[in-house]
Amino acid sequence: MRIFRVEATLVATARIGNLDHHRLLVVTERGSGSKQVAVDPVGCKIGDWVIACGSSAARDAAGSKDYPSDLTIVGIIDYWDEASPGDARAAGASGGEVRR
Amino acid sequence: MNIHRVKSDLVATYRTPSLADKSLRVVEDHSGNLEVALDPVGAKPGDFVITIGITAARIAAGDPRITTDLTIGGIIDHWSEERWRD
Repeated sequence: MRIFRVEATLVATARIGNLDHHRLLVVTERGSGSKQVAVDPVGCKIGDWVIACGSSAARDAAGSKDYPSDLTIVGIIDYWDEASPGDARAAGASGGEVRR
Repeated sequence: MNIHRVKSDLVATYRTPSLADKSLRVVEDHSGNLEVALDPVGAKPGDFVITIGITAARIAAGDPRITTDLTIGGIIDHWSEERWRD
């Protein structure tokens, strides 16, 4: 599992049927800063630090083995005090509370 | 899943039977790398799309027997070049 931060929600009306109505979020990986899209069965808010898993576990985590996801959020991190570079909001959070 | 932009159609008449008659598109990522994705949605050149990789790509193609490692899962309604390059 890897650590990401939620950047934005993603609206894609024209989508394949088996993607269903699951929420999709743009997430940035901690460290590399690369943007990816993850399925969100948990209910995250923008700015949350989350853990997400890939490969076949992503399919299971999204609710079924037949769900076409390669990155699924599996949890929201309660406390995360390591700020990513240039992240003033997380850096200023005393006690590491970054969840809004 | 990743965000790609559709660059063009790709025609490949002689192909493995496991690719069936699925449409193919050339897609580029934010740094300009080109890849080929299977397109069950019907995306047009210029569209920003969500692409699904690894084994989930085969499920997204509608039939797990189809041999693809990148499938377009949906067309993004609102996305800008700046947000993508950032």
